[in-house]
Amino acid sequence: MEALIGSQGLTKMTRNELAVAVLVVLPLVGGALAWLAPWRWLRSAVVWLTAGLSAAAGVYAVTLLPFSVTLGSWHEVVAVVCELMLVGLVAYFAWDERGWLIVGLCAVQVGVLIFEWLEGAGQIPVIKDAVFCLDGLAGALVVIINVIGGLILVYATGYMKVHSCHGGGRGAREGRFFLVLTGFLGLMNGLVLANHLGWLSVFWEGTTLCSFLLIRHEGTPEARGNARRALLINVFGGVVMSLAGVVAQRGGAESLEGVLGSRLTVVFVLLCIAALAKSAQFPLQSWLLGAMVAPTPVSALLHSATMVKAGAYLVLRLAPAFEGSAVMDVIALIGGFSFAVAAALAVSQSNAKRVLAYSTISNLGLIVACAGIGTPLAYAAALMIVCFHAASKGLLFLCVGAIEQEIGSRDIEDMGSLLHTMPLTAGVTIAGMLTMLVPPFGMLMSKLMAIEAAIEAPLVVLLVIAGSALTVFFWAKWIGRVQTVSYHARYRLERMPRSMMGVLVVLCAMVLGGGLGSLAIYRQVIEPMALGAFPHAAEKAVAALRAAGQLHSWPILVFPLLAVIAWLVTVWRFNPGYVRLPYLAGENRDETELSYKFTSVKDEPVVAWATSLYFRRTLNEERITPWANLLAWLLVLSLLGVLGGR
Amino acid sequence: MGTVMALFFVVVVAPLVGLVLNGADRVVTARLQGRVGPPLLQPLYDLVKLWRKEPLVVNRVQIGYVYLHLAFMVMTLVLLALGGDMVLALFAHAFSALSLVIGASSVRSPFSRIGAQRKIMQMLAYEPVFILLVVGIYLRTGSFMASAVGRLDAPLIVSLPLVFLAYLVALEIKLEKSPFDVATSHHAHQELVKGVTLEYAGPYLALIEVAHFYETFLLLGIVAAFFVRQIWLGVGVALVVYAGAIVVDNVCARLRTTWMVRCLWTVPVMLAVCNIIWLYVRRTQGG
Repeated sequence: MEALIGSQGLTKMTRNELAVAVLVVLPLVGGALAWLAPWRWLRSAVVWLTAGLSAAAGVYAVTLLPFSVTLGSWHEVVAVVCELMLVGLVAYFAWDERGWLIVGLCAVQVGVLIFEWLEGAGQIPVIKDAVFCLDGLAGALVVIINVIGGLILVYATGYMKVHSCHGGGRGAREGRFFLVLTGFLGLMNGLVLANHLGWLSVFWEGTTLCSFLLIRHEGTPEARGNARRALLINVFGGVVMSLAGVVAQRGGAESLEGVLGSRLTVVFVLLCIAALAKSAQFPLQSWLLGAMVAPTPVSALLHSATMVKAGAYLVLRLAPAFEGSAVMDVIALIGGFSFAVAAALAVSQSNAKRVLAYSTISNLGLIVACAGIGTPLAYAAALMIVCFHAASKGLLFLCVGAIEQEIGSRDIEDMGSLLHTMPLTAGVTIAGMLTMLVPPFGMLMSKLMAIEAAIEAPLVVLLVIAGSALTVFFWAKWIGRVQTVSYHARYRLERMPRSMMGVLVVLCAMVLGGGLGSLAIYRQVIEPMALGAFPHAAEKAVAALRAAGQLHSWPILVFPLLAVIAWLVTVWRFNPGYVRLPYLAGENRDETELSYKFTSVKDEPVVAWATSLYFRRTLNEERITPWANLLAWLLVLSLLGVLGGR
Repeated sequence: MGTVMALFFVVVVAPLVGLVLNGADRVVTARLQGRVGPPLLQPLYDLVKLWRKEPLVVNRVQIGYVYLHLAFMVMTLVLLALGGDMVLALFAHAFSALSLVIGASSVRSPFSRIGAQRKIMQMLAYEPVFILLVVGIYLRTGSFMASAVGRLDAPLIVSLPLVFLAYLVALEIKLEKSPFDVATSHHAHQELVKGVTLEYAGPYLALIEVAHFYETFLLLGIVAAFFVRQIWLGVGVALVVYAGAIVVDNVCARLRTTWMVRCLWTVPVMLAVCNIIWLYVRRTQGG
């Protein structure tokens, strides 16, 4: 009997190890195969297969949850070697790009690593923890990374085909592109699974390198410059993280769990600064805007759905241990500040990808703010945003990519009549934007929870409110522009690679379904996770958490549904005889069937045209950014100040 | 049973109250301008007339947003009547206004689009007041549930007097009254024609009118809620406030959109913020 249990325990052990190994290694191998594939169809097939397998592996791994994997002490050597190799690679690329500052940072990092190694050999007593672990939080991210990431990979195969026809990138480049993009999934899986700080640092560095290579993909001077900037800021984050490793080792911890357990505030603050760089929070936001030169699947995968979430994930993971401390208050302020300022700057942008980038910074700020508030309700709100934002924003980036390939512009003002020229994409875009701001959908419910959770911190709640109002502004403008359309009796589906179209439809269905079921997801999944993260939460905090799940859900589902049904019925029974031209500023000219010309002064025909408001003078990006950065640096400094005055 | 009664009240009775109030508005306005004015039930006759007209549209997209506008307006009232979450009700109300904006910007008429932009500016101006109102109620009752207001021992006006003042200004915007009727109005403006609702006709315009009746009831109901427990006093004050709004409408000129935002964000929002700070301080001192 005992032997039986023993063997079962053993198989369970190896199964967990296998799950981790597959999640990390499979995409790397798939990427390498895609790189080697001589023909495009074979490359696409390999990428598709890898995407499918890693999605399955991700979902399977989550059914095993929670588990942890411990390894012999050999793994530390492997981690250090991997890290040194990665730093070496980064330094090589930085040298290639003449980024001397980055090379210097790499040298510092090597120094820190060697110092840590020597000091560790000096036998500081360190509590040994699991090397990898999969809990609810990591599980949520694993699903996002592999399922949404897999879909984006499939989309990318179609996208790059069209992209190369437009003259972007050559064959060999495309192989490397898929090597990095597919392999990234494995590194990202490793990042969220890692518990050991050494391994966390390895994967952190690895995702930085992926991001750099993908931003540089186009090879234009602009792309190279932006890639260098992204590398600089993220390597800075990496150095800070290595420093955190040294301090943690001195404090007798080597893993995130250890940092949580012994409440090493200094380590926490250092990790948070690294996280701010990765999650592109003010004052380290500039690299994410530059990263938008990369092909759109990259923006969707790395720069909105997964990689930038790593920072917010790290803060979220550590937050419960530091609940109520002054450090957390400052972190909540930094997040709230990024949320509001990025939303304000998004209002002034008409470049669709920049709007999405600012909106991403903004939402990441809200996650960080919620993590900083540190109540179970705030934690739950942050989790909701992590999930729903990844899906919706990934979808929107994919839509913008498809639109850009069709109309050759990413300016929002050029997106009128899209409903006629590409009805499917435009419809999916509108649906995706609506899920960002309309009541029954998850993003809005999580904003609601964020506001309710922030209520005890007056400054944060003001920032969250201001940010929410501005968010509504830029989405409304964009939706209005995309759905501006004349009456057409028939709509013809646009031509697009089937892989792109399929992914748009599937992801849109997921976003709509998940968004509608957001309250059920909250009650079934998010609430237990938040309770698990805060086992000693006060009774009042738990009551707030439960109250948010007990919202009246029937009116918010029934009324919009009634409206949608009424609209469908009207459209079904629509009589084209009721269509009129819009009222313009004078008499309509009927030169063509769909004329927007009217008779103006001296009988001159004038085309009616009204653009949206951008407040380019008030919300001037160039003028506001330096001040916002200054304020944000002060906040970061006060983070260190709080530490000193502890 | 109480719930069913409340639902019946807000879904069926509320628009009728709103309709009569709007009729009264037109009579009072006419008297102020030295006219006799239409009968009290003129809004009802207008509604019937509009309903029988041809449903003319520019495209099919804009129709959906009329339904959403009305649905979210009714939903706001239902949520409040159920004693539900006030932040959720606030969001529903905001999206109701927003669907008009999105609907109006889905056509190529410049008047409609400019009206839509101005409507968003209006939202930027008044939404902070609404949110601060909810925050203030939370600080007073310790709950986001609307039902908690009914259980208060002293009326809200005692602890939220400055927020009440700010709310009165926001009300003027929401009712599309001068000096803030920049997005649309019952009187056609020269430079904006009919603004947000320009490209809606016939039954769709009728539905927007119905939503307006609901909204009138909602906004005045919130005024009354400041005096909860002395509900008749609240109703009285709400009627006085409405009459005041009509008078202000008739004696003021319409002003610029940017002026509106600046005006709201300086005095009323700051007043409300002061009130909120005062409540925070009292809470931390009282433990």
